[in-house]
Amino acid sequence: MKKIYLFLVLILISTIVSAGNANSIQAQSNPSILLKIVIHAQKQLESQINQDSSIKTKQLFKDGTQQIISLEESLNNNDTDLAKKQFLSIMKIFKETSKQLTNSQTSKVEISTIIIEDPLKDLDRLHDYVGDLKIINKKYNTTINFSEIDDLFLVAKKQIYEKQAVDALQTIMKLKQLTLELNGIIREHASKQQYIHAKEYAQKYLGELDLLIENAKNQNLSEVIIKKLIIVRENLSTATNADEIVKQIKEIISLKEQFELTKNAQIESKVILSKKIS
Amino acid sequence: MSPETMLITSEEPNQENGILFVRINDILKTMVKRYLIVTGLIIMSVIIPLQISFSSSRSLELIIYSDGSTHVSTKIDVNSLQPDFELDLFGSSINNFVAIGDTGFMLSEKIVKNKAIIYTLGSSEITTDYDIQDLISKEGRVWTFTFNSPINYTLLLPKNSVIVGMNQLPNNMEQVDEQTKLDLNAGLTEINYIFTTTINSTQKPIISNDSLFNYVNLIIILGISSTAIVVLVIILKRKQQKLTSNTQTQFNIENITEKQSVNTEIIYDFKPEMREDDKEIIKFISNNKGQAFESELRKKFLLPRTTMWRAVKRLERLGLIEIVKKDLQNLVKLKKDMVEEK
Repeated sequence: MKKIYLFLVLILISTIVSAGNANSIQAQSNPSILLKIVIHAQKQLESQINQDSSIKTKQLFKDGTQQIISLEESLNNNDTDLAKKQFLSIMKIFKETSKQLTNSQTSKVEISTIIIEDPLKDLDRLHDYVGDLKIINKKYNTTINFSEIDDLFLVAKKQIYEKQAVDALQTIMKLKQLTLELNGIIREHASKQQYIHAKEYAQKYLGELDLLIENAKNQNLSEVIIKKLIIVRENLSTATNADEIVKQIKEIISLKEQFELTKNAQIESKVILSKKIS
Repeated sequence: MSPETMLITSEEPNQENGILFVRINDILKTMVKRYLIVTGLIIMSVIIPLQISFSSSRSLELIIYSDGSTHVSTKIDVNSLQPDFELDLFGSSINNFVAIGDTGFMLSEKIVKNKAIIYTLGSSEITTDYDIQDLISKEGRVWTFTFNSPINYTLLLPKNSVIVGMNQLPNNMEQVDEQTKLDLNAGLTEINYIFTTTINSTQKPIISNDSLFNYVNLIIILGISSTAIVVLVIILKRKQQKLTSNTQTQFNIENITEKQSVNTEIIYDFKPEMREDDKEIIKFISNNKGQAFESELRKKFLLPRTTMWRAVKRLERLGLIEIVKKDLQNLVKLKKDMVEEK
């Protein structure tokens, strides 16, 4: 019977250990994924290489393609370690091939410039942001009407589809402006709500602060700390915005830490004193 | 008076009028039963993999747009006793920043360079969303995503983009609509991509595929767990204990609860900020015994993969659903606590 128990316990311990290692096992890549990525890249680059491409570029691409065959072989042989190395090597080669294929005159482009050059691509991002604003807006029960902005999105999409780039650009500019205005209105509502919430949060601390002041007095703590606690209490109860409330609560937390330190120091000195007497 | 002190073992009789000293070994022998240890280990072996699979205190999702900006969406656990939280942003060119507390309300923030001070005011979990321009650079036609992540994360590449360079091995890859979604590890990642030009029609779509290792690992864990459970059941049956029946009853109750459809109105009341289209998704899942595959949802609502993926992620952020992998697919399940609230 003891052997069965021992066997059972060993199995369970190994289960727990292997489960604990699950993350590191998952962190290893799926070999078939690696092959898919490189083949995808190879096909794309193949379509771009033409007679005008330099010999060096063509050679690089050839090397990469050759290594794909080796990668496939490694995968078939279940040699994942080698496959991973080959994958990274192929990716390095294809990155270099892509760079050589591209116009070498174009240096690093600042992203801000890209946005100005092609604002049509901004539409998806704007759409997602408006989606977020809609969710937040519902929470605040505001009277904001999103129908205008929704219509503008439809118009912009239609204009892009019909390749009316200039019109689409104007619509997107309108959309950005409108989104900015709606964002401002929602944030105003949020700010009011946050103040109410901050007040409730502060109330919790006020009660705690009263107790802290009383304890400090009972334990004959430094007058300076007690005075500071009283001032913070007054400031917190009269705070008129969330900024001020947060500032005062941080002050309370800091004072509370000081209070605890002083209290502990007092207890320690009492213990030392009583030892000396005895 | 000085009482007599004696060291005794469990075999020795208790001495009257003396202080009792007992060896730890004797306490263990007397109080801890072997079947308790075994049961405890079984529970641990079941719970630990579940925790690893489903619970994550922090999550990070990145979406690269075709204009070179990146949307960052992150869920963070914060100290509810502190009134604010300082969040390190992944750059300094931040747009459209939104922070939401666990009550669903928007939180105020101050952004200074690459830090955001968020007034959490008692929230224990916050979700932040923002767009950032600092992660992508472009050289000729090659776009480069460079990111040093503190945790594992998912990355959705833009439509029609092809990876041509990568310095890290992905954990997983899926094709969502025409976008590549990668699961990546913490650490520095550099991904080079270009936009497709002429070979769109000839490219074979990449089929969604889960990591082989995950399944092997899962099978091993399940195999070991089930063997252990079977052996334990045999032992327990021999001892005629009622432990198995109790556990079974508990599992049955959980299954019954899970399979019940939920009154969606309660969920709508609970989350009034939900979008109308999201409500329809919840209704469908609810009527489908509380769970549905993402592909089923796409077919039902005739939505593209990306749109449905975003909707599902949105519902997950609202805490209404959870996404689990099943048969290489995303299974969307209504959260258990929502069912219980009903």
